[in-house]
Formats: sequence, structure tokens, C-alpha cells
Amino acid sequence: MRAALASLFALVSAPALAQSVVMSGAPVSTSVTVYRDMGRGDGAMNPSWLNGYALISEKRRVSLPVGESVVRFEGVADGMIAVSAVVSGLPGGVEEKNRDARLLSPASLLDGSLGNRVHIRRTNPATGKVSEGDAIIRSGSGGAVVLQTQEGVEALRCSGLPESLVYDAVPEGLSAKPTFSVHTTTPQATTAEVTLTYLATGFDWSAAYVAKVAEDGKTLDLSAWLTVANGNGADYQGTQLLAVAGKPNQTSDFRALGAKPEALSLALQCWPMDGTSTYPGWGLQTPPPPPPPSPVMYEMAVSAPAPMLARMDKAGSIVAQQEDLGDLKLYRVPVPVDVVPNGQKQVRLLNRASVPFTRLYTATVSPWESRPSQPIGIKLRMQNKAKDGLGLPLPSGGVVVMQRRGEAELLLADSSLADKAVGEKVEIDAGQSDQVRLAQELTVNTANERRISLILTNGTDQPAPVEISLDIGGWLVSSSSSKLAAKGTNKLWSVTVPANRTAQLVYALRNPH
Amino acid sequence: MKQFLLAGAGISLALAAAPSGAQDSANPVAPSAQGDVSVTIYNNNLALVQDVRNLPIAQGISRIEFPDVSAQIRAETLSFAAPGAAIIEQNFDYDLLSPDKLMEKAVGQVVTIVRTNPATGAETREQARVLAVNGGVVLQIGNRIEVLRDDGLPVRVIFDKVPPNLRAKPTLSVKVDSDRAGTRPASIRYLTPGLGWNADYVALFDSKAGRIDVQGWVTLTNTSGTTYTNANTLLVAGAVNQNGGGVRPYESIRRPYAPPPPPSMIRAGTESANRERLGDFYLYPISGRTTIATNQTKQVSFLDVQGVAAQATYEFTNGWLSGNDEPQSAASVVKFSTSKQGGLGDALPAGTVRFYMKDAGGAPQFIGENGIGHTPMGSSLALKTGDAFDVKVKAVVEQRQRLGDAKWRTTMRYELTNAKPEAVTVDLVQSGLDWWWADTRITAESLKSERKDANATVWHVPVAANGSATVTATFETRY
Repeated sequence: MRAALASLFALVSAPALAQSVVMSGAPVSTSVTVYRDMGRGDGAMNPSWLNGYALISEKRRVSLPVGESVVRFEGVADGMIAVSAVVSGLPGGVEEKNRDARLLSPASLLDGSLGNRVHIRRTNPATGKVSEGDAIIRSGSGGAVVLQTQEGVEALRCSGLPESLVYDAVPEGLSAKPTFSVHTTTPQATTAEVTLTYLATGFDWSAAYVAKVAEDGKTLDLSAWLTVANGNGADYQGTQLLAVAGKPNQTSDFRALGAKPEALSLALQCWPMDGTSTYPGWGLQTPPPPPPPSPVMYEMAVSAPAPMLARMDKAGSIVAQQEDLGDLKLYRVPVPVDVVPNGQKQVRLLNRASVPFTRLYTATVSPWESRPSQPIGIKLRMQNKAKDGLGLPLPSGGVVVMQRRGEAELLLADSSLADKAVGEKVEIDAGQSDQVRLAQELTVNTANERRISLILTNGTDQPAPVEISLDIGGWLVSSSSSKLAAKGTNKLWSVTVPANRTAQLVYALRNPH
Repeated sequence: MKQFLLAGAGISLALAAAPSGAQDSANPVAPSAQGDVSVTIYNNNLALVQDVRNLPIAQGISRIEFPDVSAQIRAETLSFAAPGAAIIEQNFDYDLLSPDKLMEKAVGQVVTIVRTNPATGAETREQARVLAVNGGVVLQIGNRIEVLRDDGLPVRVIFDKVPPNLRAKPTLSVKVDSDRAGTRPASIRYLTPGLGWNADYVALFDSKAGRIDVQGWVTLTNTSGTTYTNANTLLVAGAVNQNGGGVRPYESIRRPYAPPPPPSMIRAGTESANRERLGDFYLYPISGRTTIATNQTKQVSFLDVQGVAAQATYEFTNGWLSGNDEPQSAASVVKFSTSKQGGLGDALPAGTVRFYMKDAGGAPQFIGENGIGHTPMGSSLALKTGDAFDVKVKAVVEQRQRLGDAKWRTTMRYELTNAKPEAVTVDLVQSGLDWWWADTRITAESLKSERKDANATVWHVPVAANGSATVTATFETRY
């Protein structure tokens, strides 16, 4: 029997002899370029839901024999998007690329051994005597195991005895880690340095801004951290870390393409096992499911701001360098760093002191109903120009606004920022003011005409610059007590309310139809 | 019992020695029972499999099983042909072997039970008749009636044999009537979902030199649950019409994500590529035979073109009577041709184009992707790669005036900004012009526009390096 099995094995492996299989070494150097999740909008990322991706580039050494060979790359990222892989540096080029999604697991071991001879090992619970016998697996892994033994046909682990299957060999094509392989033909034996580049899911990054408003309320210190999160199992020690800002187009479903390789789970079932004491079935308490794994990433997110603030005062000496990448912005961390699985890393992105800003109050109102006096929003407005203390691309991210007050710092707002190019106006939401308020009254409200009165009140002892956006919804302005500018499809009323005073706008709208 | 054992060992011995003749799916020891396999794969999750096997067929009526067909086979599409054999019936059986099925089929039969004494470890054997399997197993042992393992103590149950018609895998079989005995090539042909392909392109774009290097790969995916060994593989660029689809007894089909073809082709080509065709479909054969393993993603190269001319352009489209409070990024668009002259020079099967660009250190970085439909040779393509960080447009509805009952005057202002250190040209599109009635006129504009079609007009706006530009236009419309 063994001889027969051996000859069978030779038959199976015979076609593989034509090509030699070469294992690549572990990566010599790596580079990780992280891209943001385009679906989450602007602002900070959610570390427990990482839907961005990364371009991973690994340099590996391969000893190539002459002729056709298959080069296997083990230990690629588990979120690898195989179809995006590019392999360069092979002298004979690449003829074919394969990604095998079959991992070695109890279920795949069983499934791959279907019809083959395995061993069943039983331990006598009283005497501890171990007995082993041959068996042939007769059923697939979907459900349960039926074995043909020397004594007859049995089901695995239905007897209540300790039973286990022992295999002679690992079935072909099962690998321990996600594996990518390429076919190549080498003109002469050589050792090549091969670069494997691919996209992988499970990453994200965002900028984390801290704006510290000076005590005089006229300037602020703006600093930002480049926050990178890796939700993958892949570990990159001493890697070149980069991040891309902007919005690369994405049309394919990265989540599906980068789905983790299938590791079948094995659920053994038996025949019905009711006894006389278990009826009715609800008398038996099923054990509660195990608690979900502790949300490590979430804890990290919660604890992240604290060390960040603590480190704020001594400005980091390492600052990510920015360069243009076509129409995108690329940030390069100048020193090698470790990107570890399920971890988050922060590197200083930018640092600008004493940026002048104006504080203004804004609101958007629709002229369809009267509104009592309500607080309106505060915005900090800066110009992204070198002469105004900025003048650099600002990638989107979360913004924490602090106000210095003596020795202490107060939190003013936790808001967000969209991508801002050089020369653009930058506005940060900084909460609401209960002192500067807006009331709206409709004095005429007919199907064809509307007359609206807006009253702004300023309870502060400073003049308040206010911008009110009027969402007139396609109606025509027939008269107005102040000049209105156009803003998008709306009209804009800009006014400075003197300290402790009020301002009023009266305007009329006509139905266009 | 002993006799059965010997017979069983004999069968597996014989099978192991002659794997090509392994037609008994109850003993699938052979690596694969497939013969000469040809697979033709269409884009829409469908494949035609032809498998020629050398089978010994007995004279008269006999039953032949076909293991190792697709686990998702559309059994009703099977056709069988062998010289001198006529088909009587086709069967597809998917009653799978499991412990509960084994026990259910044993009702009324005698099994062996082995009790192990938990204190001494002594084993006692008894014969038992299975009376019923309803929630639990009721046994008759001698003249006693017992519930199996009612006391929770270990009891092994040993069955004499695997009941007929219970299988490890779904099994296809045919009943044939042969006029002679002998081994001969028998071909089976069937359709199966679970095999699909599309193209993936790697495009290395050099915007300064205005060049693009493109590699094309065909990507095969196999989720059909079966490995096709040494298959002669042909890929058809096109989706054949699919009605019905038949019954799917085993495994629900997983359709690969298929986006609708995006409007990236600005002019369809009229050139014929130097490739084999089947009707209007282009064929992409894979040279040599290849093994398509189950759950495998396989990519084979089919295109490698260097240094094709390509331009980086910008585009911004504004809807009718819409504007934006904050400046919005223009789209970065890469334009190139698939023509033989100055282009890629091939018909492109549908797929995803991923663009890369070299960074300051010379390493390629991903800059965005876009999908293309099946593209004839000679087409002009304009693929959006992403949003430009530094090129933005702010559209403002400056003024609306009512001139008459169905006559309106609208003044638009577009402010374009460029934070890049080089000048760019933005294709600024105002769309929505044939809304209601196609009677739209531009009565004044600060830059000459070009009417794209009834619905849209376009300005080619030059914006200086680190500069800005403003375009104003007055439209007269019926709305």
C-alpha cells in the first residue's frame, strides 16, 4: 500500500519537475505609501474602521536557476490586492502572476486529504493507552468527518472519546502565510534583487492639527501630526514611510479585491444527540458566545491625543518632507520607521508659529420662516499664503483648537479641515457664540413675495465681523437695505456689528414663476 | 466485515495504481480525473468547459461517473459524446455524506457499538439496531431499547459501509448504452459560473515628458470550487447573452464586482487589432497550457507598450444653476490613444487601469485608477485619475433676471486657481443647457467657448503658474 501511495505521489508531483520553485528571501528593504480612505470625507480617521490603502514596495533577493522557474513571495500583506502587483528586476520578465488564497488550516488540511489515507489516534480515558489506526476520509469538510476505518464506517468525534486525525503530509498548494508567485524564464543563473510593489487594504492616515490661539486672540500656532494607522497583520520594520494627500480616483472594490485569504473554519457536527433528559431542548443552556476581542485600536485612539499634547512644546526634530506627485501631494518621512500591525504612528507634518487670523461669525439661513434669536457659529479665517504665515499645502484632517489662558489651555473646538492648496482661504470651525446672535422675521409671506428682516445682536465688547449666507433657493432679490454679494447659488450679507450694538438687513424676494 | 475490508483495500490499491481510470467517486484517491481540458472564459462570470477523458465503457447499459467537474456546474447544460455510445439519462447528485445522513440512512439496520468503561478502560462490543433518528438516536440492543449516549458515557458507533448515493462531493453521472466494450475518448462539455476574467493595466505616467508605459494583464479568477489541470485556456472579450441560468444546486454563485463601463472613451476607434476574433468578440488565448487552481487569482501578460504619447489635462464640470461656496478641485485627466499610430496599438479588453508616477526619489507611486470598457483599437481615451490638489474652481451664480414669460438671463462667474509652479489649461464645462427646451444662447462671455453638444459648452481656460483666471458668461435660457 505504501509503495502504491508513493508511486501515486510521484505521479502528482511529476508535472512540477519541469519548473523549479524558488523561494524569495525576506524583504531586504520596504517602503509603505499610505493613502486615505476616500469614502470617509474630510477630517480625522476612525482607527477602528480603516478603509484606506497603501502601496507597499518590497525589495527581495532571489537566486534564480537557468530556465523556467516559479518565484514564491511569502508573507505579503494579508490585505494584498493581487491584481495591482508589479514585479520588476527579474532578468527574464514576468510571464504569469498567481495569488493562492488557500491557507493551511485544520479545515483545508482535512479538505485536501479527502480520499487519502490518514491516521486516527484514540486515547483511552481510563488507562491513557493510545491506539492508532489507518482511516480514509470519506466526506468533505463542509459539516463533519466520516471515516472509513479497519472496523467499518465511523464519524469523527461523535463517540465522546478523545479522537484525533494525524496526517502524513501537508496537501500541495497550501501555504502558511498569504503567498504570491510569479513565473519567469531566466537566461542564465543569477541572484537578482526583485522589487514587488502592490496595493494593500487596511491602512489609513490623516493629518491631526492643533491650533493654539495666542492670548491676544490675533495669532495662532498651527502644528500638525501625520497620523498613520496599520490595521493589517503585516509588520514593516525600518521602512520608508510616505503618505499621499489629495484624491486619487478609485473605481474597483478594494475591499473585495483585498479580502483576506480564505481560512476555512472547521465545525464538526454529529448526528442528533438528544437524550431523555435533554427534552425539551430549551432546558439546555447554550454557553454564551465568547466576548468580541478587545478593541485595541479604539483604546489607542482615545489615548492618542494625550501624548500628542504632551509632546507639543518640544517641537519634533523630524518633519515629514513634502513633494509634488503629479496632482497629488506626497509626504516623505525622512528616517526609517517601524510600521507595526494594528498600530498607529505619528510623525510631525508641519509647524507654523504666529499665524495671523481673523475671527468671524457665520450662519446660513433660509428665508422661509421666522426664527427667534439663535447663536451663530465662530470661524477662524487664515490666508494660506507665505506672507500670512502659511503658504503650504494643508492636507485634510481633524483640528483641535486650543486657547491659551495664563498657564492653562482651554479646548475651544474639535473640528476638521478639507484639503487646502496654497493661496486658498482656510477656515476652521471654532464652535458657537452665545453672544453674537441672529433673529429672522418674515414680515410679508405670500406665494409671490417675501419680505425678510434679519437682526444681528452683538453682546461682546468687540466689533463682530459677520457673514450671513442667504439660501434663497432660486427666488429673485427685488430689494435690499444692504448690498448682497453672490456666493455659490446663495447671496451673502457681510457686516461688522459694533461692540454691544445691533445690525439689521431688510430684503425682499420675488417668486421667479 | 473482514471481507468488506479486504475488498475496500483492494479497490483503493487498484485505483492508486491506475489513477486515470478512477471513475468511482466514492474512492477519489486519484489526483484529478480530468482529461484533456479546454476552458473558454467569458467576462460575465461564465465559462464553457470541455473535458475529453479516456473511459472504459462496457457493452450495453452502464453508468459512468464524472468526478472533478466544476462544483458549480450547470448540470442541465451538460453534453456527452463518445464513439458508439448513446446517452440514456444524465444525473447530478448532491446528497452529501455527513454523520447525521449516515445515521439517518442506518435506520432499521444493525450497527456495532463499542462502550468504553470510564473507570477501567475496558471495551465492550454489542450489535444494535437503529430504530429512529429524531432529535436523538434510539437503539434496540437485544431486547432492550436505549437512547444512544443517554448517560453521556463514550460510545463508538461503527457502520458497516457508506450507504449508496451519499457522496463526498456533488457527482455528475450519465447512463449510456454502448454497442461495444472498450476504452475510448469521451468528451463532456458544460457551462459553469465561477470562472471569470478581466484586464488589469499598469500605466506608468510621466507627465513632464508626456509619455506613458502600459502593461496589460489578463486576470483569471476561479471560484468554481474545482481546479482545472493543464487546461487549454481561451479568453473571450465580451459578455454573451445569459437568460435564465438554470438551477444552482450547490454553492451560491459569487459574482465579481462589475462596474458599469465608465464614459472614458471620447472617440471609439475604427481600427482592427491583429488578434483572433469570434464574431465581434476578440479572443485572447493563453499560450501553453495552464492550471487554474481553485480560489486562485492568476494574471498573464498580454500587452507591453513603452513610451506612448499621453497628456495630463484638467476638467471641471458645473451643473446648471449650481455653484459652490468653497472652491472644488478640478479632475486630473490623462488622455491617450489606442491607435496603431502614436497609441497603444491594440484593442483593450475591459478592466481597470492603475496609474503610477515616479516620485522625487524615482520610486513609482500610485496616483489613481479608472475603469475602461471593451475598447476598439484607434479609440481616444480620457481617464480621470483623481482630483487635483492645486487646481480648483469656484462657480458663482452672479445674477438671475427674468426677461419674459419663458426667458431668463443668467450671469455666471467661474474663478479658477492654480497653485502649481507651472501653467495649466482647464477644460471648464457648463452642462445642463438643454434642460426643458434646447434653446440656450450665450449672449456674452469673457473667453470664446466651444459648444460640446446640445447639453454642454466648454471653455479651454489657461491658468498661469501660481495664478488665477476668471471666466464670466451670460446665458439666455427658457428657464
